[in-house]
Amino acid sequence: MTLAGSREGRQILSAPEGGQPRRKLLGRSFPDGVKARRIATGTYLVMMLALLAFPIGLVVIASFQGGMEASIRSGNWSASAYRAVPPQYWESLWFSVMTAFWATVIALTIAIPAAWGLVRGNLRERHLVGTLMLLPDAVPSLTLGIALLALFVPLGLSNSFAGTVIALTAIGLSMGFRYAEALIEGIPEELEQAAVTMGASRVTALLTVILPLLAPGLAIAALFIFVHNLVTFELLLFISGPRATPISVQLFTDIVDRGVLPQAVAMSAVLVYVAIAFYTLIGTTVGARYLAGSTLSRRG
Amino acid sequence: MKQGRRLGHENGVEAYIRQGFGAASRKTAAEPVAGSQYVAGPHPQVKPPAAGQGWKDRLFYRAFTVPALLVATGTAIVPLAFLLYWSHVDQQTGEATFRYYAQALASPFFMRTLLTTIAMAVGVTGVSVALALPMAYVLARHTLLRNILVPVISVPRMLPFVVVGYAMVLLLAPYTGFANKVLMDAGILSEPLFMLFDWPGQALAFGYAGTVVAIAILTGVFMTVDPQLEDAAVTLGAGRLAAFLTVSLPLVLPGIVAASALIFSTIVTGYAIPVMLNSRPPYMVSVLIYNNLYSLQERHLAYAQTIIVTVLAIGVTTAAQRFLSRFGSRR
Repeated sequence: MTLAGSREGRQILSAPEGGQPRRKLLGRSFPDGVKARRIATGTYLVMMLALLAFPIGLVVIASFQGGMEASIRSGNWSASAYRAVPPQYWESLWFSVMTAFWATVIALTIAIPAAWGLVRGNLRERHLVGTLMLLPDAVPSLTLGIALLALFVPLGLSNSFAGTVIALTAIGLSMGFRYAEALIEGIPEELEQAAVTMGASRVTALLTVILPLLAPGLAIAALFIFVHNLVTFELLLFISGPRATPISVQLFTDIVDRGVLPQAVAMSAVLVYVAIAFYTLIGTTVGARYLAGSTLSRRG
Repeated sequence: MKQGRRLGHENGVEAYIRQGFGAASRKTAAEPVAGSQYVAGPHPQVKPPAAGQGWKDRLFYRAFTVPALLVATGTAIVPLAFLLYWSHVDQQTGEATFRYYAQALASPFFMRTLLTTIAMAVGVTGVSVALALPMAYVLARHTLLRNILVPVISVPRMLPFVVVGYAMVLLLAPYTGFANKVLMDAGILSEPLFMLFDWPGQALAFGYAGTVVAIAILTGVFMTVDPQLEDAAVTLGAGRLAAFLTVSLPLVLPGIVAASALIFSTIVTGYAIPVMLNSRPPYMVSVLIYNNLYSLQERHLAYAQTIIVTVLAIGVTTAAQRFLSRFGSRR
């Protein structure tokens, strides 16, 4: 490490001969014009934040002002838009929740043993299988949706609960496999081996040693997969129908057929609350610092 | 997540999940420092396949992967294979044919739509990454700001595009939209601006979603760049901006490419926003495919067009990956 790199080196370099601490430091503090730079950065941040949060805020505001439009002057706040939400919407939301839940459960149940087998068995085909499992994620949702439609129509699976769960499982499996693989790689094999040495079978070791250790990470992974399933749109658009309408498809068909409706704006606001609740939950349990840099692709 | 692994660093919830338990284990300690260098090829902690294992052992472990393989094959591989197959089969006669691909590629309307889509996607991707870069840089350097702002900014990431579309309608609609009302009340506009239901409204909605994604990803990438590198350049006489452009920016280039590929393929295959916010030609290619599929009953033509778009989207992602691995190995 060079002189300038170390903390002491910085202090030495930044203190000139006179002994007076110089204001210009090498680190993260700014040289001259500190105030101007701070103010510029602050203004920029506030503007970007306003631009990015504003449209979503508008949905929430409009949902409390009758649902057709948002204005700053009108004082007529009311929950009429929420009261206008028909049971059909709640059914769609419930349908989305149920399909997302079952798809998450199925995907993780299948993905964990597979990841365990591949990681612990050091199988030769690990790379190949990993690529295969990632395929549904790499292919655009639109393509997979159309492909599933082409297959589901002759099988009679389109426009059904089972079909929707199958479609969501396809995507959830590739997410779940990646998570499970990362999780199991993080657990030392020695723990398992210790259990096996003491007479447990490998399956018992998996169930009694590995699974409890996986649980916290698995809960977060499940939450991510669940919320992704909840907002999926393009994958489900083609195979949805009157008997199987996820909430995103319901909102979409309504705006296309009938224009902006108050109840649809209210339901959009409900989805905003779900997203906020999700981020609050992640922020408080996992820590906000893990939210930056996630490269999960979106499904909506 | 895929991109993160390719970059040799992991951030976000993927990092949490990987660290979750193993932070104390020896294996994780042996991992290279995040972002120190690009790690090409398999993950360093992956052991080579054990040659000495008995076939019974391997069979035991393989048995665990069978359900996942079956489900992945049934839910994704088989449908995609059928899509590919049917796009090569005549809809009426059932004979093998290439005419749907020829028809799609020879149709000026389809090609123009495809080019419009690509132009829209490239433009929006470029603008959103450019808008996100300074924000991501600032957020990466200020921990407190990052912990507060990133969750707030990321909310649209967990919303369906449909909700983003509703937000844009409420913002931009000609008479009832918020922006038009404010501008007309202030006397800046005498007539409402018809931005919505044409390509600018659509570009704005895509740009909004793209910027959100780009900020979240690039913040994570900037976090892996050591701020002392820039400090060193400043000590040697470079300006702050020059240091950023010549030191930090080249280091995050792989992250920028990965984020761009992600945004590009989302826009190319996006369906909700084009239909909600852009009802007149030139269409986006997804709208064309949907019309062929449902209104025109040209199913197999639609399949062929889907394959073309998919090849384009995956091609861009793969090219980005190639670029990344070459970029990584050169250093």
